[in-house]
Amino acid sequence: MKSKKKNIKQKSFFFEDYAESEIIVNNVKTNQPKVSLSRVNFLFYIFLSVIFIFGIKIIYLSLSSDKNFFSQNINQNFIKERGDILDRNGVILARNINIYDAAVRSKLVKDKKKLLINLKLIFPELNTNKIRENFSKNKFFYIKRSLTEDEYTKLWLLGSKGIEFPKRQYRIYPQKNLFSHILGQTDDSNTGISGIEKFFDKDLKSKELIDSSLVLTLDSNLQYLIREELKNAQLVFNNIGSAAILMNVKSGEILSLVSLPDYDLNQRISISDDIYANKITLGIYELGSVFKTFTLAAGLENKVISPNTIFNNLEKKITCDKYTISEHDKLPANLSAEQILIRSSNIGAVRIAQRVGIEKYKNFLNSLELFETFNLDLEKIGSSLPFRWGKCKLATASYGHGIATTPFQLARAYAILGNGGYKIEPFILKREIRFIEKGEQIISTKTSNAINLMLRKVVSFDEGTANFANIEGYEVGGKTGTSLKYNSNEKLNTFVSLFPASRPNYVLLVMLDEPKPAPNFVYEFPPSEKFPNGYKHKGEKRNTSGWNAVVVAGKIIKKIGPILAINNLQASSNF
Amino acid sequence: MNLNPKKWLNTLPNVNIETNQEEYKLDNQRWIDTLHKRKKDNSIQKYSLVTILFVVGLIFVSVIKNETRNLQKEIDKLEATINIIKFDLHQTTLDHEVITSPENISRLAKEYLESNLVVYKKSQIKQIGREEIFFTKPENVKIKKNLEQKTKDNKNKIKLIFAKKVETKKIELAKLKELYYKPKDIPKKLKLKITKKVKKKKNELLQLRKIYSDPKSIFASNKAQRWAAFQVVKVFLGIPIVPGK
Repeated sequence: MKSKKKNIKQKSFFFEDYAESEIIVNNVKTNQPKVSLSRVNFLFYIFLSVIFIFGIKIIYLSLSSDKNFFSQNINQNFIKERGDILDRNGVILARNINIYDAAVRSKLVKDKKKLLINLKLIFPELNTNKIRENFSKNKFFYIKRSLTEDEYTKLWLLGSKGIEFPKRQYRIYPQKNLFSHILGQTDDSNTGISGIEKFFDKDLKSKELIDSSLVLTLDSNLQYLIREELKNAQLVFNNIGSAAILMNVKSGEILSLVSLPDYDLNQRISISDDIYANKITLGIYELGSVFKTFTLAAGLENKVISPNTIFNNLEKKITCDKYTISEHDKLPANLSAEQILIRSSNIGAVRIAQRVGIEKYKNFLNSLELFETFNLDLEKIGSSLPFRWGKCKLATASYGHGIATTPFQLARAYAILGNGGYKIEPFILKREIRFIEKGEQIISTKTSNAINLMLRKVVSFDEGTANFANIEGYEVGGKTGTSLKYNSNEKLNTFVSLFPASRPNYVLLVMLDEPKPAPNFVYEFPPSEKFPNGYKHKGEKRNTSGWNAVVVAGKIIKKIGPILAINNLQASSNF
Repeated sequence: MNLNPKKWLNTLPNVNIETNQEEYKLDNQRWIDTLHKRKKDNSIQKYSLVTILFVVGLIFVSVIKNETRNLQKEIDKLEATINIIKFDLHQTTLDHEVITSPENISRLAKEYLESNLVVYKKSQIKQIGREEIFFTKPENVKIKKNLEQKTKDNKNKIKLIFAKKVETKKIELAKLKELYYKPKDIPKKLKLKITKKVKKKKNELLQLRKIYSDPKSIFASNKAQRWAAFQVVKVFLGIPIVPGK
């Protein structure tokens, strides 16, 4: 630097190193601090590395959104282990809730005697000897599972460190018995073990679907009303069981399915007795005269008869092998095809079936899928027993004997007859009606209309067998069926109804298992041509479907009719 | 001795010599201004500025992080309350379903609602608007007039019946008034009956007054004495005083 200063005194100027000359800086000396650059760099890099570490940490914290670093204990979500099941109106049929068990960790109990006394006071049924033994072994043990709220608070108020309340989820069925045969049950690990709970177990447990509930086609109100009427019938007719199914004939939606006796789903009882089986889907029965409708329909469809075809000189008895076929009542010798159905003539039905022929009759019943295994969203369904067709089988099958099927399949076949002959696939899991495709037409509309009209006459005509179901305004049509149970003298009475008969919307099947005559019951006959104001009757000893199953069906239709919002046709025309 | 530098200069022939000298003077600044200025060596300033920025950034980040942590806490609290409310709703809807189950409602209806409903016949129900439509038709105008006439006649009949009843009552009242003001006109038989009744009542009143003023007199009566004697005899004979015991 000094040498350069000397050079400045030179008079001549030079271009070399001019930048550092004092001429350039105008002889001003800079007051720079005497710090070495390497030190500054060192400090800078330390700071940079610290900031880099902090930066990485900040980025890590901001990206890891799953972990809650600040308040892990606050956020305790209730995560359902199983989805809800709802009815068609959104009424809860099954839901998981938190439930507490009471357990004791003996090591943490200070005064064991005192705790034992307190526990005995809260749970008088407690086995104290066993608890003493557990205390002596310093064991961890459960006092009670599924505590009630009252029990929980009482135990909590004891303030003992040794008492623990392990939490778990429990399935609750608010409607108790109402859907017992459909919903089924779950075990303690929340796994479906029967019914819909088992059939849709994966869907109900699926994490993706857990928030969207499983919606059924069933209606709680209809289910309740039907169940109540069946229970009332049990008091009048002393039947050991009963069942009913209500279905939309066009879509196949099942609106109600009741089977009695039933059980409270919240009790978690293991049921093994056959009487608790679902009579509609699992029970296979000989259902009797309800099959005559199919015989008539087969005759009409194959054009071997018309409703007015007269059958003259009908015998009072027919024998076929070991079977003797007779009438249930005194009937005229000459009957039209329509009258055969209205009066439920066994021999008339045999004659029609004989006209149809074995092959055609068999094909007709097969087209209605009466003997095939059906599909329904339930884990257990029945399938009919195989049999060989022959002349005698044809004769007995024509009036519903020697031929067995489930009430579910019977209702479905009636729905097909009523809806214009279109095949339907009944379902229990709700879906959009617009997505339901119209099934294949297996019966002509003409036959369907003729059958609907005849079924209406069975109910509305005085000589018909189902007068008690003639509920004003609902145009009920239907057919009765009385049969003897296999290897028993007890009866199984059935009534299948379609309403309103002019354009059926619903099929209702009512079945009473082993009903008894009800001489003390006052039968109220609906208004008819002979008796415009109706009349009352007591002391009846007959035990056919017309005297019990039909009465129950009539009461059910009277109650559910307004809910189903069927046009009260007759009432509106009178006004 | 002072030297005058210009003494000899003025002797020279060239008078404009000074100006020429000025012309040949060197200007030191002339080229310097045309040169680029040298950049200052301010690396320390740079480093210090960067470090200051870093430090400020650090403080700023920590402040923001603090704020976000507070916000996160708030959010967590809100989420927790939402979860609690959701859980409560979950439980409450279930309770609602149990309470409003058809079984429960029908049980409550049986307990608290009146089941004795009044049944009306179809004929008892007035059809709104039906009468007006019926009577506006020309063929039904006569019927309407007849009906109106009938209702008028009925009203008059009822009025007449009530008027007759009122008149008869008025006549009766007038007769009673006359008798009250003229007691001589009352028949003798009636008078005797009334006097007998009055005498009976008076006697009864006198007896009651006696008993009230002197209750011991009851025991002094013959009947009481006889009864007492009879009871004493009964006791002696061992017969129970009160019959049946």
